[in-house]
Amino acid sequence: MFKPLDPLLHSELRLAVMSLLVSSDGADFPYIKEQTGATAGNLSVQIDKLSSAGYIKVEKTFKGKKPCTFCRVTPTGLKAFEEYVDALKTYLNVK
Amino acid sequence: MKEKENLTAERSLEIIRESIESSQRTITKNSAYSLVWWGICVIAFALLISYLWNNHGGPVWNVMWAAMWVIGYLGEKVIDKRKEPVPENFVSKTIGQVWATFGIFIGAIGMIFGVISCGLLTLTCYASDGNLSGNLYINLTSIISLCFGIASTITGFITKNRIVQVCGFIAGLGGFFCALKFPWAEQLYVMAVVALIGLVIPGIVIYVQNKK
Repeated sequence: MFKPLDPLLHSELRLAVMSLLVSSDGADFPYIKEQTGATAGNLSVQIDKLSSAGYIKVEKTFKGKKPCTFCRVTPTGLKAFEEYVDALKTYLNVK
Repeated sequence: MKEKENLTAERSLEIIRESIESSQRTITKNSAYSLVWWGICVIAFALLISYLWNNHGGPVWNVMWAAMWVIGYLGEKVIDKRKEPVPENFVSKTIGQVWATFGIFIGAIGMIFGVISCGLLTLTCYASDGNLSGNLYINLTSIISLCFGIASTITGFITKNRIVQVCGFIAGLGGFFCALKFPWAEQLYVMAVVALIGLVIPGIVIYVQNKK
């Protein structure tokens, strides 16, 4: 039986962003942009979607005099990510 | 990367794997700078102190190790500012903590022995029969080499890097016994080699293997 895949995570860029954040203590916008190779505009939209769903927390701070957007995954996001991976396994016949 | 929502399960898994691996590589690569920097510091100071020890007044120059900690720390701050800003993850944090623990222990031992050598503190040493056995002699380079080796080998296990594990093993055990064999000024050459094998080479290996 296939488990349903979370539509919010079932997108190339959002999934990449979540994977990056899950494997670290959080990351700033330029780092995520560099790692995913996404455009700033598109990335910004996807981060907003993840943030609205409560999957990530976005903090606007300053690095010296420069504004800095820092993202970190929330417990809700972590749980959603784990469930997504579990659901993926049902499609791949992985126990 | 664009926003595509018609992903297959295989592609999803590939994205997760690629993202995590790429991030891990970048973060781990950044840990290498500090290893190389501290290795260069130790080598430079070991050679400088051995020169001064041999030519200008004996082991009193070991006091210069304190200057190495200051220069090393300042250099570390400069490296932190210049290196690619990356987030921390479990691997980078653990490597940092292992070497910080090493630094704290070695710094503390060095300070205590500094105090003892100044005559401000006395360590009484007893033989196994309970009688006073005279002056206590501990080869610090041996102890430091062993600690170097342990920290380096743990770094190898954390980064799952066989070369770093072997380097740590060689630096630790090789340094321990060589320093016992050469207890006078030559022990500083041993220290330089230990730093090369236990810090510089692992740092370069970690950097090269995690380079994009």
